[in-house]
Amino acid sequence: MTLPRRLEQSSASILQKIKECLDQLNEKMEVMIELSKHGQRAQNPEGLPDVLDVMTLLSLPDHLRKTAVTLCKLEQATADEVAEHTKRARAVESGYLNQLVLMGYVKKERRGRKAYFYVDRESEEKEASKVWEKS
Amino acid sequence: MGKIIAIHSYKGGTGKTLLSINLAALYANKGKNVCLLDLDFRAPSLQAIFKVRDVEYWVNDYLNGVCEIKKVLKDLSQTHVKRGRFLIGLANPSTEAIREMTAKDRKWEMKALGRLLSLKTSLLNDMQLDYVIFDTSPGLQYSSINAIVSSDVALVVSGTDISDIKGTQRMIDELYDLFEKKTGLIMNKVLTEVLSSKNERADLVKQLMNSYNLPLIEMIPCFCDILKTGGATIFATENPEHPFIKTLDRVATSIENL
Repeated sequence: MTLPRRLEQSSASILQKIKECLDQLNEKMEVMIELSKHGQRAQNPEGLPDVLDVMTLLSLPDHLRKTAVTLCKLEQATADEVAEHTKRARAVESGYLNQLVLMGYVKKERRGRKAYFYVDRESEEKEASKVWEKS
Repeated sequence: MGKIIAIHSYKGGTGKTLLSINLAALYANKGKNVCLLDLDFRAPSLQAIFKVRDVEYWVNDYLNGVCEIKKVLKDLSQTHVKRGRFLIGLANPSTEAIREMTAKDRKWEMKALGRLLSLKTSLLNDMQLDYVIFDTSPGLQYSSINAIVSSDVALVVSGTDISDIKGTQRMIDELYDLFEKKTGLIMNKVLTEVLSSKNERADLVKQLMNSYNLPLIEMIPCFCDILKTGGATIFATENPEHPFIKTLDRVATSIENL
């Protein structure tokens, strides 16, 4: 492989890494912007997971409710998948989802390059499977 | 893809259960595969109407995570409709079960919402049903809001008295608008004199249009012969030519256009 070609490839991969870092930075900044918009209400005081029931959904501001209801329906999703349903920009949904994570209503898990968001109902599934196994 | 329809009202006694049963039977008699679920855990009624014996699992059990939805469903296609599939899921009418359901905490309600939402997969996708109808509790409470959030279409039933109209109006503003749900309004038990007089009918429609931010999909007259049967007759099957069923047929068409 020629030297210019190798340089070209390594610069492409560096650019890709820079883009990923910028994306992550962007995501964090969106969360900070959202938090500053909604002040103290956004942070769960004890930092404990809270329950995303319908009354909580009703109490959320409109923009977050749309994201939260969509995630409830999808069970687990990336910001891209939520954006597809809400017809809003991915970056916007990413910001809202991360805010819901900070509020303790939603959990986030990174798998490879993708971040998956979900409402935690795991404990329920475990309980249910135990009962089914018995019956 | 099938549809989940929630039938709800602000006050009790508006005719939700009668409408739910007959709409479900009407769809089945058209050859559709239908499931009717009693989600009124405070005042379960389908058990008394369908008189199903030996119920092993209730909708309560499904929401408690004790069983799959299939175990709850009873197939009444042979006895209650002429065509199609007619499945029902009953709410447990025992006092103990009612008390238990009213004492559930927020975490349980969140899980119940998850279970209701997953009915879209289990009933519409896996069992290939065309319509699932939720008969809900009146007013603003967990079980009915969970049902509304999990449905594709919500029908709000209201009577014509002022307390019902005002309450329904507030409920729509504070609940339905927030969830951006496809919703239609049904006025039930409207006096026939009002409906037969052009002016009075126009006045009522105008009043409703001013009160509600919702499409009025039907005004159903008060039928004395329906009241006389005490809810024991499924008109959609036993008397399909009845004017009540003709109006429900229009409701079925309107649902598709919401």
